[in-house]
Amino acid sequence: MAQETMEGINPTRMELLKLKDREKLAVKGHSLLKEKRDALIKEFFDILDKVKGSREKVEETLKSAFEDLTAAQVIMGDLAVQKSALSVKESVEVDINSRSIMGVVVPVMDSKMDEKTLIDRGYSFADTSVRLDEAAKKFEDALALIIELGEIEKTIYLLTAEIESTKRRVNALEHIMIPKIKSTVKSIEMRLQEMERENFVRLKMIKSTIETDE
Amino acid sequence: MKSSVAVIGDIDTVTGFQLAGVKINKVVKTNEDAENALDELMNEEISIIIITEKIADNIREYIDKKIGSNVLPMIIEIPDKPGPSGRDSDPMGELIKKVIGVEMVK
Repeated sequence: MAQETMEGINPTRMELLKLKDREKLAVKGHSLLKEKRDALIKEFFDILDKVKGSREKVEETLKSAFEDLTAAQVIMGDLAVQKSALSVKESVEVDINSRSIMGVVVPVMDSKMDEKTLIDRGYSFADTSVRLDEAAKKFEDALALIIELGEIEKTIYLLTAEIESTKRRVNALEHIMIPKIKSTVKSIEMRLQEMERENFVRLKMIKSTIETDE
Repeated sequence: MKSSVAVIGDIDTVTGFQLAGVKINKVVKTNEDAENALDELMNEEISIIIITEKIADNIREYIDKKIGSNVLPMIIEIPDKPGPSGRDSDPMGELIKKVIGVEMVK
C-alpha cells in the first residue's frame, strides 16, 4: 500500500532534519500517551471492582425501605406519614472534595450521617407506627449507599470519557501521524539520493565531454 | 466544599427521603415539571441530585444536555416504589463496552 505523504513539504535537507525531529517527538508522545491509557484502564478496573454489586445493594435496601413505608402508610394513612416526614430535621451533609487520577478530576464524597436515635428524627411517637421508624432507618441507610454509588458511577463516567479521548489520540498517532511522517522522511531521502545520482552522472558527462574535446 | 442533597421523584420517594433527612425535594408529575425542577436545583448549586429511574428515562436527553461532562452536579438514578424498571440496556455496561471494547461479565 502506498503510504500517504505529507503535502507542502519541500524535499530539502532542512525539511528532512525538521521532520526527523517531529518523528522523534511523535514517537515519544505516543509512548507517553500509551502509558497514560494503560494507567487509566488499570484505575478503571480497580473502580469496577468497587461498583460490582453496589447498585444491587442500593436497590435491595430501597426495596425493603419502600415496603416499610407502604406498611406505615397503610397503618397510619398517607397524610399522617407525610406530616411526620415533614417534621424530620435536615440532617444530611455531604463534603465534596476532588481527587485527580492521571489528570482526571473525580469527586470524593464524604457524607456525614450520624446514627440517629428516634428522638433526633423529630416526629412524635404517640401517633406514629413502628414501621415508620423502620422505614426512616432504612431510607437513611439507602441514602448513604446511594451517595457512595453516585461517587463511583460519576468516577467511572469521567474515567471512560478520558480513556476514550486518550485512546483516540494514541490511535491517531500510531496509525496516521507516525506512518505519515515516516513515509515523508523516506520519500525525501529518496529524492535527495536521486538528486545526488543525477549530479554524479552530470559530472561524469561533463568530464567525458571535456576529455573528448581535448 | 459542603453541599446538600436533593430529591426529584414521585410523592412516595420524596416522603421516604424526607424521613431520611433530605429536605430539598421536588415532587414532579410531568416531564416539564421534572425539567424545571432540575433547572431550579442546578441554579441553587445543589451537587447531589437523586432522581427516580422513570423520570430520568423520560428526560434523558435533557439531563445529558445539561450535565454533559461536568463533574457536578452528580445525578444518581434510583428505582422507585414499584422497583427497578428492568430496562433492557444497562447504561454502565454500555459505557464499559464502549471503552474497553469487550463486554465485562459483572
